[in-house]
Amino acid sequence: MTARVRARIGRALRWALGLLSALALGGLLAFLYFIPPFNATSPEAYVRIEAAAAPPVTQIKDPAARLIADRGRYLVTTAGCVGCHITPGPRGPVYDMYLAGGMRMVHGQAGTAVTRNLTPDTDTGLGKWTDDEIKLVLRSGIRPDGRQVFHRLMPWPAYSRWSEEDRHAVVTYLRTLKAVRHRIPDPTRDTTIEDEGAAEAFYLFNYGVRQP
Amino acid sequence: MIRPRMRSILALVRFAVACGACALALFGVWRSVRAAQPAATATPLQAGKAVYEQHCAYCHGTSGRGDGPVAANLYPRPLDFTPGKFKLRTTETGSLPTDDDLARTIRDGVPGTSMPAWRGRMSADDVRNVITYLKSFSPRFAAETPQPIPATTRNADSASTAQPGQSASRVVQSVARGQAAYGRLGCAACHGADGRGTDAIASGMTDDWNRPIEATDLTEPWTFRGGPSARDAYLRLRTGMSGTPMPSFASAAADDELWDLSQYVESLARAPIWRMTAAEVAAFYGRQAQAWREDPVQRGRELAATLLCAECHTPVRDDGGRMEELQFAGGVRFRVNPFGDFVSANLTSDTDTGLGGVSDEQIKRALTRGLRRDGSRMLPYPMPWTSYASLTQDDQRALVAFLRTLRPIVNRIPGPSRPALPLYLWAKFRMLILGIDPPASIYPGNAGSRR
Repeated sequence: MTARVRARIGRALRWALGLLSALALGGLLAFLYFIPPFNATSPEAYVRIEAAAAPPVTQIKDPAARLIADRGRYLVTTAGCVGCHITPGPRGPVYDMYLAGGMRMVHGQAGTAVTRNLTPDTDTGLGKWTDDEIKLVLRSGIRPDGRQVFHRLMPWPAYSRWSEEDRHAVVTYLRTLKAVRHRIPDPTRDTTIEDEGAAEAFYLFNYGVRQP
Repeated sequence: MIRPRMRSILALVRFAVACGACALALFGVWRSVRAAQPAATATPLQAGKAVYEQHCAYCHGTSGRGDGPVAANLYPRPLDFTPGKFKLRTTETGSLPTDDDLARTIRDGVPGTSMPAWRGRMSADDVRNVITYLKSFSPRFAAETPQPIPATTRNADSASTAQPGQSASRVVQSVARGQAAYGRLGCAACHGADGRGTDAIASGMTDDWNRPIEATDLTEPWTFRGGPSARDAYLRLRTGMSGTPMPSFASAAADDELWDLSQYVESLARAPIWRMTAAEVAAFYGRQAQAWREDPVQRGRELAATLLCAECHTPVRDDGGRMEELQFAGGVRFRVNPFGDFVSANLTSDTDTGLGGVSDEQIKRALTRGLRRDGSRMLPYPMPWTSYASLTQDDQRALVAFLRTLRPIVNRIPGPSRPALPLYLWAKFRMLILGIDPPASIYPGNAGSRR
């Protein structure tokens, strides 16, 4: 084989390689452009998964509590609690950890807040909270430690419109969720910003009131 | 040799003890000075201001006008202290409340509203100081000295405090007389013949601030603003609830009649669901569903309030408060990175810019399947239609019925916008290939156009 033939084959190979990579890149771009903006889940499937993810109340023995928890389930699924309190995974929400929290809420200078674990886990969830403490957050946005919950983050004023009986139903349902051990970090502030206003914004954002 | 050394050791010990005593004494003085300092510098008014701004201003506003950042989101609204109109008093109608009245409201909270019981969260001093401060919002407090109404007896007759067997028949008679008074004084006009507001004005009334107010459902004592007992009901009847349509009946009825009436109100109470049997719960939910079907607009109003509609469809000021004049008119800008800017829709019934020209089916489709009028698909966020997809048919109908009643507001909403192509592709690559969730940002201000 002469050197000329070898050079021609090499050139053809390079062309083929170039064409292939151009095709691949074009394909990737087309994929990115045309695929709908969902985490590899179609909208219908998304709805189905979200509705089915809320654990049913059939395992509750007491018939009255079962009826009440079922109302709570309706309120929890329709009010969009999962929108924030679902655990995000690498491929979208982790519905097996229903309402175990962990979603990050970034607020410019203020820093990052993380949604709480609402499952009845004793250490990391609402296990140690009394019913009244949960109801107080839903009604007045006050945590057991007395701190205020910022209403632009957690829309408790909307939930304060639930009747006391509906709030009771929601708490009854939350108590029946599978306890998931999922420790939620405290809110963090972006400490690289050496601005006094940032500290204040962080406090206001997380606790709804000025720093005492 | 030993004795001088002993003496020097003793001297040392004595010196050490003296030093210790001096140090202790100095420490004691320093501590008492330090402890005395705040009391010496902070007046009750200043201390009250600190407590108020920490705990109260979020709802009632720093100016006491009931306009804190969260106020517009709350129903009922937080009280405006400046006119000096207080609902829960033991003083004659039109008067100011006593300090004890205010303290009781702060300590026990106001059931049926977002005002929590501060008992255990505020010290007695804090409560006293914050009362001093909130009285400074209304000039009336400087000019008037409120006096409680003469101490009333008869509270031993209360059905809840009556001993079994004792005076039971007297209670029954009192309830019967109270029922007659309920009719004679026209209570049913607002509260309904059954106390539940059926066939009455019940809703559609306004308070002195021109805000909607509803007549209390008298069968649900756990929502009574001033407390559930017959004595509380008596006080509301006797002194009225300033700022609301609830008048004082002091001139219309004798004291005894008001006591009978409060006894009757107490007898109207039904069991709350947490004390019901399964059959009662089922029957209760059945009745509720029936009532919702009969009055879909009212049900839709409740749903819209709890399903967060106004949270995103009402523009927000820079301080986080709502632009009330644009309630439900949309215009909140969301940026969901890769996908660009989305502006919440105008839900009012304006034909041109709102839902006036949109069919019921189209609204339901958007609500539960995320389809816009042109057939394009919404993201599953920020509009949580994936959650609303679980709404029952009745509730969907109710929501639509309520949206149809919204006063038209012109607010033209721009369509969704997409960033430049390379940025769009890169951001989508991050989401779909690298699995990094797109952050969403909400912006204050109205992105719609009012023309």
